[in-house]
Amino acid sequence: MIKKGDAILIGIILLIIAMGFAGFHFWQSVKENNDLIAVITQNDKVIERIDLNKVEEPRNITLSGDHHNYIRVEKGRIRYEDTDCPNRICVNTGWLTKYGDIAACLPNKTIITIEKQ
Amino acid sequence: MSTKKLALIAILVAQATVLHYIESLLPNPIPIPGVKLGLANIITLLALVMFDFKTSLTVISLRTVLGSLLSGTLFGVGFLLSFSGALLAGCVMALLLLLSPYFSLIGISIAGAVAHCVGQLIMASLILSQPGIFYYLPVMLLLSVPTGCITGLLLWELVKYLRSTKQI
Repeated sequence: MIKKGDAILIGIILLIIAMGFAGFHFWQSVKENNDLIAVITQNDKVIERIDLNKVEEPRNITLSGDHHNYIRVEKGRIRYEDTDCPNRICVNTGWLTKYGDIAACLPNKTIITIEKQ
Repeated sequence: MSTKKLALIAILVAQATVLHYIESLLPNPIPIPGVKLGLANIITLLALVMFDFKTSLTVISLRTVLGSLLSGTLFGVGFLLSFSGALLAGCVMALLLLLSPYFSLIGISIAGAVAHCVGQLIMASLILSQPGIFYYLPVMLLLSVPTGCITGLLLWELVKYLRSTKQI
């Protein structure tokens, strides 16, 4: 039922997956430093850059567009707290806390990435 | 095109549309965009097995349009994502089917599921102009192996039944 080509195919896919995970870990560990800059982008335009380490008072940001995203910013972390888009994937992604983390809301064309400088 | 083929294509489109729609109603247990079983991919591959690449493209185009018409996301983000995913999956599966002495339907189905993920992510990165979205790729690929396996097994049984009753 399973042919030789299938086994090779699955092997290659698993290899790519393993390399992908290893690559991301490597990339995160190499670029590791204490900077945590959250970049909020909507429709390709940077709305706000926040140095998460310098956030003293937690605050909320609302992004309006086709839908509304309610973003929560605290010291060292940021997340989509609530949204009125249909699938709520952005909210389910949870907190972004380290370099390379990413959360996106495609219906509202917004994305939050954690960068350095 | 014979009347019988026309009728069969219409049935395939109807089945694919229903599967596409049912799947959009299922809750997503994993907070990653685009993770689903890919039931409609069964019909894409069935169209390739029964007919040819051109027919399969017809089924893909009609079912993504009709499916998103039903779920109210026509020409929206969801439509673009599922169309690009289904299109790439169809192309990859057609290519592998040409090499069918080396691949079983299950292997082809897994390759289709993987291609669906990649197609979706390419479209998502174009929409957001943000190649960083490929961050999701390893996790999505990992999940597409079991989902591709499940849809492949379903198709395997379906084709076995259709062949035993001389319907294809």
